[in-house]
Amino acid sequence: MEWFAHKWDIIDQLTPFLLQGLWTTFKISIVAIFFGSMLGFILGVLKTLQIYPLEKLINTYLHLLRGSPYLVQLYIVYFVFPSFNISWLNFDSFTAAVVSLSLYTSSYVTEIVASAIFAVPTGQSEASRSVGMTKAQAYRYVILPQALKMTIPPMASVYVIVIKSTAVLSVIGIAELTRQGEVAIMRMPGDIMFIYSLIAIFYFFYCFPVLRFSKWAETRFGSIGIDLK
Amino acid sequence: MSDMMIRIEKVCKTYHVKSRAEPVRALDNVTNHIDRGEVVVIIGPSGSGKSTLLRSLNGLQEIDSGAIFIDGVSVTDKKTNLNLLRSQVGMVFQHFNLYQHKTAFENIVLPQTVVLKRSRAEAEAIANDLLNKVGIPDLGGNYPSMLSGGQQQRVAIARSLAMKPKVMLFDEATSALDPETVGGVLELMRGLAADGMTMAVVTHEMGFAREAADRVIFMDAGAIIEENTPDQFFDNPQSERAQDFLRQIL
Ligand SMILES: Nc1ncnc2c1ncn2[C@@H]1O[C@H](COP(=O)(O)OP(=O)(O)OP(=O)(O)O)[C@@H](O)[C@H]1O
Ligand SMILES: [Mg+2]
Repeated sequence: MEWFAHKWDIIDQLTPFLLQGLWTTFKISIVAIFFGSMLGFILGVLKTLQIYPLEKLINTYLHLLRGSPYLVQLYIVYFVFPSFNISWLNFDSFTAAVVSLSLYTSSYVTEIVASAIFAVPTGQSEASRSVGMTKAQAYRYVILPQALKMTIPPMASVYVIVIKSTAVLSVIGIAELTRQGEVAIMRMPGDIMFIYSLIAIFYFFYCFPVLRFSKWAETRFGSIGIDLK
Repeated sequence: MSDMMIRIEKVCKTYHVKSRAEPVRALDNVTNHIDRGEVVVIIGPSGSGKSTLLRSLNGLQEIDSGAIFIDGVSVTDKKTNLNLLRSQVGMVFQHFNLYQHKTAFENIVLPQTVVLKRSRAEAEAIANDLLNKVGIPDLGGNYPSMLSGGQQQRVAIARSLAMKPKVMLFDEATSALDPETVGGVLELMRGLAADGMTMAVVTHEMGFAREAADRVIFMDAGAIIEENTPDQFFDNPQSERAQDFLRQIL
């Protein structure tokens, strides 16, 4: 009984504090998803235009981002960019977090959008071009509407990856959920296990609906089998 | 000045595929023409270049050399507005290729509003007329996945006709259909022919060729081997290859 009262006390004390962290996690992940998706959408479309140098360039960008840990990318954006002495590259920690996470997100989204476009049968494009649509019109009215539907299930998975990646942001002092938890642990080191469990539950409440949505979307819109590893 | 709708001059096309040792000569110096209002049926064994020829007529397939003119306009000239030209050449595919995310009705409306900039109201009126004409007035609200092959092909034909094309190209339009729906689509094509549409038709339906064609072209290995009126061609084929081919399919 006493044990229970003690834990309840912790929950009671920490919840507002952790909610603050969750709110920051939420804000950063939403903004990163938004900008990352925009950038990824553009790059994904460009990648399918069969312009060789452009394709090479985008692939290099993807290799760089996919081939290095997000933590390293974050360090580069936060610690290395300012050393270029270009004033607008001198990010505060929040901007650095959003910029690096957006770039990271865009690498997934690019791949997803390009795969989805390639998954639209060539007959759709031929039927568009043969009535006289320009390539842009074929994309706008026929190919993209079909492709974007297919991106919904994997996009939800990316969203979850991004949410979980925000935990890393604690290293540059962003008071997101993990960071808030760590601060709490410093105050109550005896309850480290319990507090980490609490943090996990908070993440779960954010990620679970998104994952459920992803599952639902997969049955609704179908899977294009993109490997997000 | 001339009544030539399609002019094909010394057209060559070779496919180079990495996985194959030998390049494939799909069109080997093909020269021919199709007159205004003429219905030409192209037949030949698989891989003889029929689709490649048809697809080169509206520039869907680029050719290596030679020239193609549609109603006097060059398909191969870089200065030609190929999109405008394509809007005047209808193409019907073996697998229909209806826009999967649009209803039958919207399939017919979309190219009109996007390419021809017709008003929505005008495009809808035309779409309704055409759904009637192709015999499925009540199915406009269905998505392609909810239509049979025959019904989808009718929509595809209506979609092409909505552009008021000068020419219609059919690439095995009935090959993917159930036997019982083939007849209806052929009937529709016969009706178009009777209305005076200029048509190039790749088909394995010899009955259609005999009845509806003004002329039959027989292709093999990328070349036109023989051409004649249907009666002459079917009753009295000249080349050995055409004789072989007809023996195999009839
Ligand atoms: N996109 C392509 N890339 C490489 N080779 C091709 C391509 N399209 C066609 N070919 C080859 O060119 C030759 C002619 O093909 P085409 O499709 O024009 O023949 P077809 O007469 O239409 O045959 P079918 O009756 O089977 O449809 C074939 O050998 C084929 O394998
Ligand atoms: Mg073919």
